Amino acid sequence: MTPYSGPWTAAEAAHLLRRSTFGATFQDIQNAVNNGLSQTLIDLFIPSVIDPPLAYDAAEQIVNLGETWVAAVYPQDTTANQQTEGARMKSLGAWIAKNLNQESLSLTEKMLFFWQNHFGVTTSGDARAMYQYLELLRQHSLGNVKQLVKDVTIDPCMLLFLNGSSNTVFSPNENYGRELLELFTVGKGTQLAAGDYSTFTEQDVACAAKIFTGYKVQGVRSDTLTQVSSQFMPNLHDNTTKILSYHFSNQTISAAGANEYADYIDVVFNQADTATYLCRKLYRYFVNYEITPWVEQNIIADMALTFAANNYEIAPVLQELLSSEHFFDMEVRGAIIRSPIEMLMAMLNTSDTFANFDLQTTYQIYLSMYGLADQMGQTYAAPPSVAGWTAYYQAPAFYRLWINSTYIKKRFDVANILTSNAFNVNGNQFKIQVVDLLNGLSAPSVAAQVIDDLCLIFFPKDIPAADKLLIKDILTNGLPDFEWTIQYNEYLADPTNPVFYVPVESRMQAVLNVMFKMPQFHVC
Amino acid sequence: MKRRSFLQKGALASLSLPFVQNGLSMQAISKKLFDVPKNAEDKVLIIIRMNGGNDGLNMVFPTDQYAELLVQRANILIPENQILPLSSSVGLHPKMTGLQTLFNEGKLSVIQNVGYPEPNRSHFRSMDIWTTGALDINQTSGWLGRYFDSEFPNFPDDYPNVDFPDPFAISLGSEVSTTCQGLMGNFSHTVSNPFNASNLLLTSVTNDGTYYGGQIEYISTLINQTNEYGQQISNAASSGNSLSNLYDPNNSLAVQLKYIAQMISGGLKTKVYILNVGGFDTHDGQVDQNNLSEGVHANLLQRISDAVHAFQDDLQLMGLEQRVAGFTFSEFGRQIASNGSMGTDHGDAAPLLMFGSCISNGIIGNNPIIPDQVNNQAGVSMQIDFRDIYASILKDWFEVDPNVIQGLFEQNITYYDILQGCTNSIVESEPSGALNALVYPNPSLGQHQLRFNARNEHYEIYLLDSVGKMLYKVLDKQLTASEQNLSFEVQNLSSGTYFYMIKSGQFNQLVRFQKL
Repeated sequence: MTPYSGPWTAAEAAHLLRRSTFGATFQDIQNAVNNGLSQTLIDLFIPSVIDPPLAYDAAEQIVNLGETWVAAVYPQDTTANQQTEGARMKSLGAWIAKNLNQESLSLTEKMLFFWQNHFGVTTSGDARAMYQYLELLRQHSLGNVKQLVKDVTIDPCMLLFLNGSSNTVFSPNENYGRELLELFTVGKGTQLAAGDYSTFTEQDVACAAKIFTGYKVQGVRSDTLTQVSSQFMPNLHDNTTKILSYHFSNQTISAAGANEYADYIDVVFNQADTATYLCRKLYRYFVNYEITPWVEQNIIADMALTFAANNYEIAPVLQELLSSEHFFDMEVRGAIIRSPIEMLMAMLNTSDTFANFDLQTTYQIYLSMYGLADQMGQTYAAPPSVAGWTAYYQAPAFYRLWINSTYIKKRFDVANILTSNAFNVNGNQFKIQVVDLLNGLSAPSVAAQVIDDLCLIFFPKDIPAADKLLIKDILTNGLPDFEWTIQYNEYLADPTNPVFYVPVESRMQAVLNVMFKMPQFHVC
Repeated sequence: MKRRSFLQKGALASLSLPFVQNGLSMQAISKKLFDVPKNAEDKVLIIIRMNGGNDGLNMVFPTDQYAELLVQRANILIPENQILPLSSSVGLHPKMTGLQTLFNEGKLSVIQNVGYPEPNRSHFRSMDIWTTGALDINQTSGWLGRYFDSEFPNFPDDYPNVDFPDPFAISLGSEVSTTCQGLMGNFSHTVSNPFNASNLLLTSVTNDGTYYGGQIEYISTLINQTNEYGQQISNAASSGNSLSNLYDPNNSLAVQLKYIAQMISGGLKTKVYILNVGGFDTHDGQVDQNNLSEGVHANLLQRISDAVHAFQDDLQLMGLEQRVAGFTFSEFGRQIASNGSMGTDHGDAAPLLMFGSCISNGIIGNNPIIPDQVNNQAGVSMQIDFRDIYASILKDWFEVDPNVIQGLFEQNITYYDILQGCTNSIVESEPSGALNALVYPNPSLGQHQLRFNARNEHYEIYLLDSVGKMLYKVLDKQLTASEQNLSFEVQNLSSGTYFYMIKSGQFNQLVRFQKL
């Protein structure tokens, strides 16, 4: 793949950060410009550090509020058990949103998001299991994909979600085996004949089901076990030798008990189709929805080679892609419509807006953020099907599926809420820290520069000068630019005085409100 | 018939009514006396924001203090003989002939020295104060936003709907109005052109042929399609009318007001329209130094005057005059003394103009006091609190319960009678017949008598026409408990139905008579 060798300016840095994080500040963009592309990429691969979710809802009946519940039992009483699960799921939802509202720039969250869409797990019935599952994805999010697929295969959440836990030698269940091939690894190709999908056949599905037999899940909402775990039951496993289809060169998988699933996944990853399928998906996530024949030959093929050559470590593939000439091509900039979560977090992270209140307030706010994304069509860790959100695979619309008459109104509602003083929790106001955002720009007292900087942050391409003037007019309230300069400098001289602070804030809120409703903000 | 035109037609001269009071004191009449007909739903309010700080002293001139003005601002002061007289002591900028005409027709009022205590001369802070209608720095909702919230507490959820298909307020341009910011949403909908009411885009989105261009084109198309208010607005504008030929297509405000006339006549139920005229921040070059009646400020004032005149003409031609009233405001006036750059710097209070056929015509408040010595940085002192004007508009125009209004404002409200020109129906609150009042003879031709049993109370009696519009106050005095026999000459009243309204304390009673 041809590496990028063009100019490295704020526009390129902003493009990279928009695609690889959930929102970068103006300072982040400047730092990336100064650090250069290579160092910026290295920094992006530093994993983010996350604390476990804490109990904050009074319905939690085991641990004290403020403590984590991830390794705590559930109450014995059925009602109390359900209430505690409700409290923990709320805590988990809030925690997810809190993690997305990230301070450090890392690809970790972006790839974690990719994987929870990729595997499509929604329910488990036990918040601890969901937490463990997400932590598993996080642990491998920038790591080895083969190992990730192995671990996910016997993860309790996945065993419950795709019926692995009821897949036994006596009653094989094909659900997981089919999705592993069709959605998680080799992918489903053209149907060549009945039961033959170019990349695998029904025979492979049946074999996979047998290979995966014997795993059980224990500890769901247990009042004695502190964790949900999976357990291999040898007597439930199919100990026959499995013969794969011609797509797999009729290889055989010998009975190997608890490790048989891993042997099989090694074989699946030896298939060139696996690397190609996963790289296409990565390409759609990071670059563009459309995979042209040129892209297939020049980008996907190279990615797949790199992927296989590095034993399915994901970092080399992403490093190569995100520093390629193609990635920075003007042709693909702005091609992606921001998902609801990406849009919401772009509003918050670009201004370093965090909920930093007491535990309950903070978690309630983040649960609301989780809920706002849900209203716009994206519930994290709960995609509509095992295939994930349609926007990531449904041709020809792809990302356009994020935008419809209901969702666009919701997007604007969210913009209204966060650029006003409307959102209050327990007497604490949560809103975009527009003045911090302003203060971080290159020349906050210069109205035209403020608009230029904001366009750099929020829009993937430059917008018409006439539009910039209109936005600037909103900042200056239609006054000559020097009046804004005076107002800002007065604020700067006495920054805590609301008489100076509030007008600056309200102008910036009005500016962001308009910018967030421009189509250009909704693409990245 | 408007009260002023009634007076000007000479009816007063030949009406020999006793106890005639000062002709401009009608604002003493309380709105409480009148029924609250539900026609408030049809009322439309136009707000014209003069952005930048309008030099009120170069718009409304206290001509009785021209000499003092000459001390303060000789380099920009318009020659006395060019100022358009409104009264013996008040004049308008020479470019505002349109508004002078409206004043003479009873469709313009000047409210003097409007401001707020402890003025702030920052454009941004002061505009926030004017749009929130509050001095409290923590108040972030607009005064109309709070009013709308009180009526439609669930906004913006479930709006628009079958009952409320139209936007509550329209902000002409690309920015929603802070005035209409409610708790959870902004009640104003931005419209640049109602015939193409794609409110959400600044300029047209052009597809640059890349994936990006395709995506933003798609999103903008969808935004327009789902702009539910947009369809209502363009339907109304398309089916609406405009009959005046006074609109100047080169006057942007006139163009916008014409849009509004079209939207109103097309049946849009929007209650508030907000317009913005920028450029009033005239620190230098406010006037043309070769001709002080010309220049930047003169052009701005002419733009407003011409546009409002055309709009009012249009409304009259379409029979919509009684549904529409408007006012201008600016975040502050400018200093009394001019600066050395043929301009003026940020000041304090300034006059506010109200227009419409239902306004209480005249000049409300006294002229500002212009000192005879220059006091650097002095502004015009506030006489009338703008928040009270807002409250009065809500009470008189939108007929909001005063208890609700008080809840919207932080000050103890003093109401001004500024929109009392059209009152459409009247009701008695006095127990029927308690005063045993009658007019004799009835029907009447020339002189007649109004008889009633007075208590020991202060009484006010008004003459009203058939639709309840006040024509005149005919009595205002303390009476002793006795039967009253008041004689009135009604010979010159046109034929038709009239009422006397007898008001005492909290009660009022109507006595109807017919003039032959």
